[in-house]
Amino acid sequence: MTRTEFWQGNTACAEGALAAGCNFFGGYPITPSTEVAEHMAAKLPKKNGVFIQMEDEIASMASIIGASWTGARAMTATSGPGFSLMMENIGFAAMTETPCVVVNVQRGGPSTGQPTMAAQGDMMQARFGSHGDYSIIALCPATVQEMYELTAKAFNLADTYRVPVFLMADEIVGHMREKIIIPDSVERVPRRELARGTLPFQAGEDLVPGFPQFGKGYGVHVTGLTHDERGYPAATNPKLHADLVQRLVDKIELAPDEMADYDIVNPDAEDVFIAYGAPVRTVQQVMHDRPGKEIGFLRIRTVWPFPEKALSLFKNARRFLVPEMNLGQMAREFERHTKVPVISIPKLGGELHTPDELVAVLEARR
Amino acid sequence: MSFDDWYRQDRLPHIYCAGCGNGTIINCTLAAVDQMGWKKEETVFVSGIGCSSRAPGYIVTDSLHTTHGRAIAFATGVKMANPELNVVVFTGDGDLAAIGGNHFIHGCRRNIDLTVVCMNNQIYGMTGGQGSPTTPKGCTSSTTPYGCTEIPFDLCELAIAAGANYVSRWTSYHVKELEKAAKAGLETKGFSFIEAMVQCPTAFGRRNKFRQVADHVEYLRAHSILKAKVDRMIEAGETVPENMFVVGELAKRNRPYLGAKMPVKTETKPGAKP
Amino acid sequence: MKLAIDETRCKGCNLCTKVCPYKIFREGRKPNRKGTSVPELDRPERCTNCRLRNLYGRTLCGVCQLTCPDQAISWVEEEPYERKKVAIEY
Repeated sequence: MTRTEFWQGNTACAEGALAAGCNFFGGYPITPSTEVAEHMAAKLPKKNGVFIQMEDEIASMASIIGASWTGARAMTATSGPGFSLMMENIGFAAMTETPCVVVNVQRGGPSTGQPTMAAQGDMMQARFGSHGDYSIIALCPATVQEMYELTAKAFNLADTYRVPVFLMADEIVGHMREKIIIPDSVERVPRRELARGTLPFQAGEDLVPGFPQFGKGYGVHVTGLTHDERGYPAATNPKLHADLVQRLVDKIELAPDEMADYDIVNPDAEDVFIAYGAPVRTVQQVMHDRPGKEIGFLRIRTVWPFPEKALSLFKNARRFLVPEMNLGQMAREFERHTKVPVISIPKLGGELHTPDELVAVLEARR
Repeated sequence: MSFDDWYRQDRLPHIYCAGCGNGTIINCTLAAVDQMGWKKEETVFVSGIGCSSRAPGYIVTDSLHTTHGRAIAFATGVKMANPELNVVVFTGDGDLAAIGGNHFIHGCRRNIDLTVVCMNNQIYGMTGGQGSPTTPKGCTSSTTPYGCTEIPFDLCELAIAAGANYVSRWTSYHVKELEKAAKAGLETKGFSFIEAMVQCPTAFGRRNKFRQVADHVEYLRAHSILKAKVDRMIEAGETVPENMFVVGELAKRNRPYLGAKMPVKTETKPGAKP
Repeated sequence: MKLAIDETRCKGCNLCTKVCPYKIFREGRKPNRKGTSVPELDRPERCTNCRLRNLYGRTLCGVCQLTCPDQAISWVEEEPYERKKVAIEY
């Protein structure tokens, strides 16, 4: 039985996590993501989960990695300044292939910035924030419904690929209230357990090793140092390091189609908008005001790894217009995947693009 | 079973220098763990970065070798998510008191059921001998070539003030006492902090006039004074010499704690009080 | 039981020579193939654990094994007829 509710985006995110089986939340309050933590604090103990407010964001990320290794589905929620603090431990999660979910309700930056206004300024940081080469998955919800569904999906992706998954929301989607239809159950894809007798960090064809949970007698040593397939540190071996890092990147970058999640409207149009997160709503308004087949729309939900195949589905595209609440962070990524000119429509300040602004850019470029 | 069964035999000999006190402390901790009768499947060792924190790589159980200073935060996640696991944290003076100071204080405050063994060699050994928050005043290190000008921490006082349930300090000379203290710490519910003063012959000893390993161990023995004796001296009104450090069981309390195992349900006869 | 020093692990720190209550360990004079001077044993039949472990069923003393930073010291069972034997069981 599905039911209909009227929820805030952050509440939907927390409820989506609970529906997916999240049983550990270690967080620290920061506007605009505090409501996720508060909702989890109220609901998790009733489901025999653990909520702990850690002393800072670094400890929050650390605690969810520790919890994940005991088999829990762990998550944390933060915003820009906390995201920067978590970066070292995010690198640790990527290196040790720990599944976890990090919700970043983005706010105006840099530094303390605009705590109560929206932005999308952490998109590049999500992909390249920690030092060294690694790859992650980032999902961008644009509605309260997607906050619920994508959070649940994030746990499945994290467990399948053994990677930290980011839910890059923004203050608009996080704090707005909207109608949401809640499904009666959410699909859960559990972690693949390590087969006894195989080495803990040895991967097969899909480049993802089985998960040796703590407490089951695997005796696994997990380290952030470059490690061999037994998990032992082997930091001075050049070939081993190259192979390990290449595998960490390839397991995501070579499989973008499996995680790809996007909507295509009017694939034959010449002017195509590409949007993710809150600006999707402005583009939808523009499409609604100008019905017809002239304007195309690529609405992306999985922003990293970017589904470049989606761009080639627009065969007649003359220009891609990218409205973003940052100075063109994803526009430069789209640019390198296509020969069609990419026009970035940045907007800083915390307010959403208005339909008139988008139409003005559209008319000017034609 | 002796403590030797807890080592990964294929990984020994370890990377520690000749005469490093860390090897001794790991022996004593593992002997205490062995005496507790814990199973290898139920024990997890967590550590940060540094010489002391390389220890879990040589122990046969599940282990987590984490980022610098955050061992207690990771251990909090492990323990709270699965309280049935026995979690022991190995850390060093820099890892615990410098970058990890905040997590140390909050671990003590929350009184999570962990045991933290800090191998305090008063220097940053792994990175080549820089000063640490516990380097004594006047000692030479690679970042304090003119003698350390800062006043060092007393880690045990910090732990007691922040609320740990069991705090004790011994040196690498007092192996038997350290084993007993480690066992008491493992048994005590709540945050147990065991500080072990150890020798670092390569980084500290070489720069601070301890030419032989045994000289430094002798120095540690000569400058340790039992807590009971210090209490008597204070009562008698004598002053305790400055450069001595107090060894023994410094605190044992019963404050409320987090992350306890579920109590084992026992059968009660009908009519008997539960 | 008799004392055995594992030469692949000993790094020649000589801490055992300082902590044994009977001064059984003496500093080695000759370096071995690895270059470390492994300590020599002076009258190891004086070691309490060697003599009485089988009688009491638990480790006695054992400070050398706990102190050795390289886990190089252990006790092994003796063969009945051996050149160097500790022997005395009360």
